Amino acid sequence: MNSMYPFLFLSFFMFVIGLGVMIARKNIIAMLLGIELILNASALNFVTYTRFVNQNLDGHIMSLFIIIIAAAEAAVGLAIVIRFFQVRESIHIDDAAQLQA
Amino acid sequence: MFDSVLFLLSAILIVVGSLGVLFIKENIMHACVALLTALFGVAGAYAVLGADFLAATQLVVYVGGVVILMLFAVMLTGGGAANENKFGIEKIPAMGNVKTYIIAGVNVLVISLVVIKIMANVMQDYKAVALPAYESTVEKLGTLLVTDHVLAFEVSSILLLGALVGAAVIARPIGSTK
Repeated sequence: MNSMYPFLFLSFFMFVIGLGVMIARKNIIAMLLGIELILNASALNFVTYTRFVNQNLDGHIMSLFIIIIAAAEAAVGLAIVIRFFQVRESIHIDDAAQLQA
Repeated sequence: MFDSVLFLLSAILIVVGSLGVLFIKENIMHACVALLTALFGVAGAYAVLGADFLAATQLVVYVGGVVILMLFAVMLTGGGAANENKFGIEKIPAMGNVKTYIIAGVNVLVISLVVIKIMANVMQDYKAVALPAYESTVEKLGTLLVTDHVLAFEVSSILLLGALVGAAVIARPIGSTK
């Protein structure tokens, strides 16, 4: 592959689809899936610029930390989802209206 | 040649998987499998870009860890099939409705246009410099992690410990205070 545009378009596509998932879905777990897509898009962007602009691997380090943070975020987010399901017996996002008073 | 084929396969996986996450409605489990497909595609794109360690990490952490965690959460929260809650209101937890999809489409369109408008002026296409035939990044990444980025490395270990303890505390059963 000789151009960076295909990777950037792919990454942008993933970002946009992740955004659409977060807006369109009503399921909390599905919204977390959208967050994973967005994080992956950003990591792919870092690796693309590392490959094509300078080869000093700092973008790889950033992608590695993005993966670490995504794992931590998924663990805590799913724990919150399970707790919410224990309390409300639903994972519909419209049921999370307790703080609206 | 091989790179082009691998990139094409990865792109197909990413596009199909992402659209599956967005549009699969009847079962959230299938959406998780679609996310798995997209993450496989990202690992393939990493391999095309010469990031071998990141491709392996992507497979191990995401495909082996995060997606399995998602599947466990789906199974623990009732499988995502259409059901009723205790008030008799029918819940279809896996899907949005037409209104939310229209809102998402408008948002996606606006953000795409804005980003393309902004980026069109500053984008320049960098050509790939000819790399050596194959060069492993594992050794360089390990050196970088314990020299330049050692603070972030240690802080991330504390972050992971905190996430582990926090997840265990948050998800404990109701009524168990200890």
